[in-house]
Amino acid sequence: MRRIAADADFRAGFAEMVPACIGLVPFGLVCGVGAAAAGASPLAALGLSAIVFSGAAQILAVQLLAAGAPLAVIVMTCFVAGLRFVIYSAAMAPYVRPLPPRFQKGLAFLLTDQAFAASVRRLRAGGNPHAAGMHFLGGGFTLWAMWQVTNMAGYFAGNVIPASWSLDFAVPLCFIALVAPLYRSVPAVMAGLMAAIAVVVLAALPMKLALIAAGLIGIVAGTLVDLARERWTAR
Amino acid sequence: MDGALKLWIVIVVVGALNYLSRLSFIAFFASREMPPLLARALKFVPAAMLTALVLPMVLSPSAAGALAGINPRVPAAIVAAIVAYFTHSTLKTLAVGMTTLWLLQALAG
Repeated sequence: MRRIAADADFRAGFAEMVPACIGLVPFGLVCGVGAAAAGASPLAALGLSAIVFSGAAQILAVQLLAAGAPLAVIVMTCFVAGLRFVIYSAAMAPYVRPLPPRFQKGLAFLLTDQAFAASVRRLRAGGNPHAAGMHFLGGGFTLWAMWQVTNMAGYFAGNVIPASWSLDFAVPLCFIALVAPLYRSVPAVMAGLMAAIAVVVLAALPMKLALIAAGLIGIVAGTLVDLARERWTAR
Repeated sequence: MDGALKLWIVIVVVGALNYLSRLSFIAFFASREMPPLLARALKFVPAAMLTALVLPMVLSPSAAGALAGINPRVPAAIVAAIVAYFTHSTLKTLAVGMTTLWLLQALAG
């Protein structure tokens, strides 16, 4: 454990994730407030944030619990909302393939929207897979630790940040910081554009299905443009 | 069913399902070759998924209101995206995006 913490790449991942954690604070507080409102014990609130470790699933779970929904409905809804992790997992697979199975299993637990977004650039840059993996672990662990702190703060202290500060806007800003530089090729721009249109058009779908459906539409669009462009330049 | 027990079942079952989702393809392709077409498609996961993830956060509370120009988050997000595109800096994007939103909110109200 100490050897991991002393690793230079682990520390670099840790340091790079600190700004993104600002965006996590209001979101974590809301999740903690939700757990308290649903009548969770402190230990259950901590279990929810530490084990489920997904803001979207946590909020859905406590809202449905508070509404008295059946267990199967709660589990199904949270599972469907978490299906985007399957897509992230596939995207990560080629990069983490050289790593030992134990490393892969630990890394998978820390796979979140933020950790995925933050690691994309480093993983694509290539280089030593072990170093990139340690970098991901550093960032992922930072997020996990901050997530527990902010959830507990929300649970015990309530929403301590006034809504008028609009600090919840920091969440999309952190993603924008990581996504905007990706629009550097025609296929990538098409992938983003089609996903954007689809997520607005499909917004009425239940169980956050719009996100995964729009993501898949964007991925297919990007791939088709990429294939077409390759065929065009090959002629 | 007892509420506390129900919550713990949710924590354990959803936690396990989420973990399996996260591990799924990492484990599946650990010992198999990935088809070239899938590898090509996966390059577009970040651009597509993260755009679909972020857009509703910017357009909320309502897409209609955002299009009508009522939501200052839309121009603030556009300014932030320009800064992000050129600087690659999370900190600068956060600073400029939040400042733009606060300015627009101050002007509006």
